[in-house]
Amino acid sequence: MPGSASYAILLLGTLLEALVVVCAVRRKVLRKYFVLNLYMLLCVFVSLGRYHILTHDGGVKSITYRYFYFYSDALLTIVLYFGLISLYISVFEEMKVERYLRMGAIVLLAGTGWFSYTVVSQSSHRMLTYFAFELSQNLYFVGLVLTYVLWAAVLKMRHTQALLVQLVLSLGIYFSAYAASYSLSNLHPTFYSYVAYMVPIIGCLLPLSWAYAFWRVPEEARLSPQRLAMAASR
Amino acid sequence: MSRRLVVLLLPMLILVGAMGLKTAVTAHGDGSFMMANGAAPVPVVSKNGPDPAPAPWRNGPDPAPAPWKNGPDPAPAPWK
Repeated sequence: MPGSASYAILLLGTLLEALVVVCAVRRKVLRKYFVLNLYMLLCVFVSLGRYHILTHDGGVKSITYRYFYFYSDALLTIVLYFGLISLYISVFEEMKVERYLRMGAIVLLAGTGWFSYTVVSQSSHRMLTYFAFELSQNLYFVGLVLTYVLWAAVLKMRHTQALLVQLVLSLGIYFSAYAASYSLSNLHPTFYSYVAYMVPIIGCLLPLSWAYAFWRVPEEARLSPQRLAMAASR
Repeated sequence: MSRRLVVLLLPMLILVGAMGLKTAVTAHGDGSFMMANGAAPVPVVSKNGPDPAPAPWRNGPDPAPAPWKNGPDPAPAPWK
């Protein structure tokens, strides 16, 4: 069974996820960032489901928890992928290329699915489980690359909407933190146990930053991303 | 270059880049990446993927046959 600290982090993360949706409703940006809020709402339900299994079905070592964790994770990653695509649509809104973006997103998702299938097609048993696991891993890295490409597009197109910039940057930091923590755990096997504790904490960062963005940054606020990039390069 | 061609080429380019990055990051690991949507604790997984390992058989991988009641031969049909 996980310790009280793990339960506290899970509770905190769930509250922050719910807070994102509450803040979006309060700021009246729920429809504009609908997929992002759908992702957060799904995160709340998944967290509740995971908590229920943790407390009633044997903890982190139980098979039920493992299956629920990885299948729900695959679902959440797919929704987060579409959330990222919705940010692309917002950034490229003026260019009227929404149809092409949607087509590109479907092609990329299908390509990732096909690639994942070719990786797991060797395993004859429980292929669906391996496929879900592989697909969510691969989509995670696709999301990481897409976020950086989106940030480059924001800089290039001189997009000044502060809320959108904050959402994109939060996503970039979130993805990068996982990639960094995993690279760290590969350096030495002893780091793995520390990283396993870090993962849920990093999971709280995205809802925290999005809740802050929806709560504090007005939709009409403008800033220059070039100034951020220059400040970061100094 | 037409927009439709870009729609096909750009996702493939991103997919190649993402898989290249994944290979670079997981090159020295066991290949399994810890996904983490949400703040729930990470489940304890086996080294090769998310599946639990099957319970091992005592004598090889095949299931043992059901034992006969009186020796290995089938019992004869009783005389009337």
